[in-house]
Amino acid sequence: MEFIFGVAVVGLLLALGFFVGGWTESSHFRKLDEREANNGEFFITQVKTFPGASQSGPPPTILIGEAVIATDYLKSFLGSLRNIFGGEVKSYQSLLVRARREALQRIVEQAQAGGYNAICNVRFQTADVGGNTATAKKGAVMAAMLASATAYHRSA
Amino acid sequence: MIVVNTETVPGFVIAGVKGLVQGNTVRAKHAGRDIAAGFKNLVGGELKGYTELLTESRRQAVERMMAQAQQLGANAVVNVRFTTSAVTAGAAELYAYGTAVVLAKPSA
Repeated sequence: MEFIFGVAVVGLLLALGFFVGGWTESSHFRKLDEREANNGEFFITQVKTFPGASQSGPPPTILIGEAVIATDYLKSFLGSLRNIFGGEVKSYQSLLVRARREALQRIVEQAQAGGYNAICNVRFQTADVGGNTATAKKGAVMAAMLASATAYHRSA
Repeated sequence: MIVVNTETVPGFVIAGVKGLVQGNTVRAKHAGRDIAAGFKNLVGGELKGYTELLTESRRQAVERMMAQAQQLGANAVVNVRFTTSAVTAGAAELYAYGTAVVLAKPSA
């Protein structure tokens, strides 16, 4: 009896991950696509020099964007299965992609609000807010991303 | 104060270097946030509480770094870098460091 109950709970959580988690992810990707399409002429580079910098406009400044995205139960279940057999863990790949795009998009929106039209020297860094590496506890899978860039004004 | 993560600033020359400045902070969210994050791990999505935690600690670290630069008599910090480390579950250390410099307009 208890075994059946346990299986039912796990099945329910997996279904919850499949439906709610899948919907959350696809709507997040859709929103990211929309927001990135609205960037227009915004210029993003990863070099340390300032391509096409103009003397007008506000002085350059550092901007930082953070995003912490959690995975759903189904994906962490699939991820732990993958840990047994080895190979590429596809279910976590989209998680990191989402965190990076979200963090970068937050920088772009801050820059546009501040009157800048370009950023350079984009750097990404993963953070560990949950303390997963410190305690080595399993289960809570999340991607914490810290992106930094320098915003400046670029002459077209 | 101009703070950038590049080595130079367009329209300015570096007139003097004041040295390394740094700021760090360890912040934790209350247990309620950690429990909420645990639930969020079932359905997926953004952990707003932890994003806030990162934003707050980053601001504090940068403020401390800028205060140090001001004390040294600098008017800008260039080449700013961030690192994070986990101290214990639910707490994050954020460390910001850069080079304090004096920027001046180039004499034409």
